[in-house]
Amino acid sequence: MKKKLISVLLCVSLAATMLAGCGSEKAASSNADAGNDAGQEAPAESGSTEGGGAEGGKTYAIVTKAAGNPFNEKTADGFKEVIEASGGTAIIKHPEAPTADAQVSVIQSLISQGVDSICIAANDENALQAALEEAMAAGIKVCCEDSKTNPDSRQVFVNQAGVNEIGVALMEAVHDITGGEGQWAVLSATSQAANQNAWIEAMKKTMESDEKYSKLELVEVAYGDDEPQKSTDQTQALLAKYPNLKLICAPTTVGINAAAKVLQDEKSSVKLTGLGLPSEMAEYIGDDDAHSCPYMYLWNPIDLGRLGAYTSIALVDGTITGAEGDKFTAGDMGDYEVIAADDGGTEMILGAPFKFDASNIDEWKDVY
Amino acid sequence: MAGKSGRTIANVPEKSLKKTVLCWEGMLVILFIVINLFCGGISPSYQFANVLREMPKYLTEMFLLFPMAFILILGEIDISVGASVCLAATFTCMASNQGLPFGAVILVCLLTGVACGFINGLILTRFQELPPMIVTLGTQIVFRGIAEIALGSGGSVSLSNADGFRKIAGKAGIVPYILFVVILMAVLYSVVLAKTTFGRSVYAIGSNRMAAYYSGIPVQKIRLIIYTVTGFMAGLAALFLTSVLYGANTTTGNGFEMDAIAMAVFGGISTSGGKGRLFGGILSGFTIICLRIGLGQINMNPQLILIILGILLISAVLIPNISAKLKLKKKAA
Amino acid sequence: MKENKSILKKITGSREASLLIVLVVLCVVISMRSPSFLTLKSISDMLKNNAVIMIMTLGMLGVLLVGGIDISITSTLALSGMTAGMLVKYGIVENTFLLFVIAVAIGGLCGFLAGLIISKGKVLPIIATMGFMYIYRGLAYIVANSQWASAEDLGAFKEFALGSVFGINNVIIVLVICYAVFFVVMKWTKTGRMVYAVGSNREAAGISGINTSSVELMVYTVMGTLAGLCGALAVSIYSSAQPNMLYGREMDVIAACVIGGVSMTGGRGSVAGALLGSLILAIIAKALPLVGIEAIAQNTVKGVIILAVIVLNVITQRVMDKNNLKGREM
Repeated sequence: MKKKLISVLLCVSLAATMLAGCGSEKAASSNADAGNDAGQEAPAESGSTEGGGAEGGKTYAIVTKAAGNPFNEKTADGFKEVIEASGGTAIIKHPEAPTADAQVSVIQSLISQGVDSICIAANDENALQAALEEAMAAGIKVCCEDSKTNPDSRQVFVNQAGVNEIGVALMEAVHDITGGEGQWAVLSATSQAANQNAWIEAMKKTMESDEKYSKLELVEVAYGDDEPQKSTDQTQALLAKYPNLKLICAPTTVGINAAAKVLQDEKSSVKLTGLGLPSEMAEYIGDDDAHSCPYMYLWNPIDLGRLGAYTSIALVDGTITGAEGDKFTAGDMGDYEVIAADDGGTEMILGAPFKFDASNIDEWKDVY
Repeated sequence: MAGKSGRTIANVPEKSLKKTVLCWEGMLVILFIVINLFCGGISPSYQFANVLREMPKYLTEMFLLFPMAFILILGEIDISVGASVCLAATFTCMASNQGLPFGAVILVCLLTGVACGFINGLILTRFQELPPMIVTLGTQIVFRGIAEIALGSGGSVSLSNADGFRKIAGKAGIVPYILFVVILMAVLYSVVLAKTTFGRSVYAIGSNRMAAYYSGIPVQKIRLIIYTVTGFMAGLAALFLTSVLYGANTTTGNGFEMDAIAMAVFGGISTSGGKGRLFGGILSGFTIICLRIGLGQINMNPQLILIILGILLISAVLIPNISAKLKLKKKAA
Repeated sequence: MKENKSILKKITGSREASLLIVLVVLCVVISMRSPSFLTLKSISDMLKNNAVIMIMTLGMLGVLLVGGIDISITSTLALSGMTAGMLVKYGIVENTFLLFVIAVAIGGLCGFLAGLIISKGKVLPIIATMGFMYIYRGLAYIVANSQWASAEDLGAFKEFALGSVFGINNVIIVLVICYAVFFVVMKWTKTGRMVYAVGSNREAAGISGINTSSVELMVYTVMGTLAGLCGALAVSIYSSAQPNMLYGREMDVIAACVIGGVSMTGGRGSVAGALLGSLILAIIAKALPLVGIEAIAQNTVKGVIILAVIVLNVITQRVMDKNNLKGREM
C-alpha cells in the first residue's frame, strides 16, 4: 500500500515540477523576447547584487582555480573592483575543489544564469572545452587569465607575463645569485602543472642558448605538489642529495614558501629564488645570510584580475573580438594589444614579471 | 536495564524498521518537491531546460551510486571508483587519439573499468581478512598513479576527435541521452536488487555473512561480481564524463566516491550493511543534484553548499534514529 | 633449542615484529642508495615533518579500536589551525601557549560533537564524520574569509616549531610525549582496557558494566583534541595557515593505522603498531625523493607499497593463527 502511495506521490511530483519548469521556461523566453539585450534580468537578480538593479547592467563572471588560494583571491578582488566601477555586476565563482571537473559545473551554472562573459583560470587546458564551447555558443564571451585553456575554448588569454620573459628573468636570477657557476635545482608544483612546466622549459632553453650559463648545472627538477609537507620533504631531499647545491629555484608560490622556510630554519648556505607572493615571503627576503631568498619575481595578481575585467568588458561591448591585432584601452592600465600565442590562439600580456627584493618588499607585503 | 532493552529490540524491529524506511522514502519524495520549488523560488534561472542541461555532469556520478549501493548493502565500501573513472577516461582519450574506431574506444573504456574493479575484487576475495576500505584506498592511489604515468608530464590529454563523444553528449529534444541511460540502469539495478536471488543474497551477506555462507550462498563469488560490476560502471561513468569534458587529467573523477556514498546514505542505505533500497538512493541522488544546481545558480559559496550537504547527511540518519527512540519510549510508557 | 624456537615463534608470531622487519629492510635498502638517510638530522627532519600525521594516528588508533572511523580529522585540523592562525594575524592572541590551548579546545569540541552524534545519536561513524568533514572544512573557509596567515603574520607562534629543549626539537618532544602517554594509558590503565573491551565485544563490555557510549564519546573527543593540537602544530611547523590544509590526508592516517596492524573492525591494535605503521609511511614519503624514483611514478610506488604491507600483514596473521592451532593440537 505504502509503496503505491509513494510511487503515486513521485509521479505527481515529477509532473508538477515538469509543469512548473515548462511554465517558468515560457515566462523566461517571453522575457528574453521582450528585451534582447536586457533579457538577462535573471542574473541581475540572482547575483545578489547591491547596486545594479537597472535592466541594462551586464553581468561578468570570474571563475577561480580554487577557494582559499591567496593568489586567486587577489585576482578576484581586482576583477570585482573594475567591474563594479564600470556599473556591471561581478560574479566571483570558486569551484568546490581545485579540479577541472568542478569548474565544468560552475561554467554550466553560469550558462544557466545567462551571464555576459566568463573569465576563467583553468585547472586543466583541455577538459573545459565542451563546457566553454557551449558557453560561447550561448553567446557568452570567454577569456582566460592566469592559466589558459586550449585555443578552441577561449577567445583570448590574459597572460600574466610572457613565458620566455619569465624563463629569462629566472635564469638571470639563477646566474646572478650563484655567481655564474655551480649546481642548482628546481622545486616545482606538480609534475603536470602546465604553467610551471612551460616556465621550466623556457628556463632550460635560455640556459642552452647562452654561453654564459654553461657553468651552471641543473641537477634536478623536484615536485612538491603544492603541498607544504611534500615540498618540505623535497627540499630536504635536495639538500641531502646534493651537498654542493648552490641555489633552488621554485616557480610556484607554495613551493617557494616551504623551501624558504626550510633553508632559513637550517641556516643553509643554499639560496632561493623563484615566483612567490610578497606577503608570504616577506619573512625570508633579504640580502644578508640570515634570509634565504635575495630576491624573487611575481606579477601583480590584482592587476591581472583588473586586466581580465577590462578584457571581459571589451569583449562584451564588442571593442575587441579576441582576434590578433585588436587593440583596446584598459582604463588607467593603458593600451593593450591582442597578439598571437604559441599555441595557435591569441593572448595579451600584462607586463614583465616584477622583482621583489629587500628594498621594496615592505611596501608590497601588505598589498598582496 | 540491559535485559529490558534487549526485549524491546527483539519485539519492535520488523514493523518499526519497515515503517521508518518507508517513511524515509516518502520524506525524500516530499523533500525532492520542496527542494525543486525552493530552488525555483530563489533562482529565476532554475528552469526545466537549464536543469536538464546542467545535469549530465552530475549524472555521471549516479552511475557509481548503483553499484555502490550494492557494496554498501554488503557492508563494505569502495573508495577507488573515482580513480577508476580517472584511469578509464585517460585510456579512453588515448585510444581515441590513436585513431581507433569509436566502438573500440568504448570497449577500451569499459574494459579498463572492468579491469580496475576485477583487481579490487580479486584482492578482496583472495585476502578476505582485509578491510575493503584500506584495499580500495591502496588501489585508488595505484590507479590514479598509473593514470599519472600514462598522462606523462602535462598531466592532461585532449580528444583530437570528439565526434563520437559529441553524439553521446547529444540530446533528444531537451533531454540528454545520459538521463535515459541512468533511468535504464536504475530500473535494471533496482530489479536485480529487489527481485532476484542475487539481490537477496546481497542482503543476506550484508546482514550476516557467516549465516549466508553456511546457507550455501557463494559469498566470495558474489563479492567478486559486484566489485567487477562497480568497475564496469566506473568505465561507463568515464565514458559519459569524457563526453562532458573532451579530455582527461589527473584530477578527473576526484571525489566521485564520496559523492556516490553520500547519495546512497542520504537515500537510507546503511553503510553497516543489509539495509536500504536502491529507490531511496536514486531519489536522494536526484534531490542532491537539484539542490547543487539550484544553489550553484544563486552563486552560493561552494563551501557553504558543502556545509549544507554535511548537515543534510547527518540529519538524514540522525532524525530517523531519534524519532525511533522517541517512539520506543512512548511504547515503553 | 627451546629458546631458539620461541624467538622464531615470536618473530613469525607477532605482527609488530614483522612490521619491524619491514621497517628495517626499508631503512637498509634506502640507506644503501642514499647514505644521508640514516643521519640524525635526516631522521629528526622526518619526524618533524610527519609529526602531524603521526600524532593523529594515535587518535585514530583509539577510534578504530572501538570499531569506529573518523574521516573528519583533517577538516578539524584545518578549522583549529586556521582559527589559531587568524587570531595571531589580527593580534588578538599572541601567547603561543594560549593559542595551543584554543586550538586544542576547538579540536576537542569538534571531536566531542562528532562523538555525541555517533554515540548518543547512533549514527554510523563514517556517515557522521563524513558530514562533519564537509562542515568543519567549510567553517575553516569561513573563518579564513578569503584571508590567510603567512610567516610574517605568525610572529612568535612559528618559533615554537623551531625551538628545542636539550637539542631535541619541540615538535618531536610533543610527538614523543603523546606516544608515551598513549602507550601507558592503553597498556596499563582501566581506560585503555575499557577501549579494548568495547572494541572486541560491545555487548559483553556493556553487560560487565562499562558505559559503552561514554567510551565512544571519549575516543572521538580525544581524536578531535589531537587533531586540534595538530592544527596548531601544522601552522607552526609550516608557518602558514590556509583553509585547505592537509586536504584529503585523513586517508594517510587511516592507512598508517591499518599498516600498523590495527583492525578496522575494532578490538585489535596497539600503540607500537600505530607507531610502526606511521613510521613506515613517513619513511616512504621521505625516501621516495631521496632514492631518485621518477616524480611521476612516486604515487604508484607508494600505493603498491601500502598494498604489499597490508597483504603481508594478512599472511603473518594467517601464519600466526596456524601456529596457535598447532600449539593447541600438541
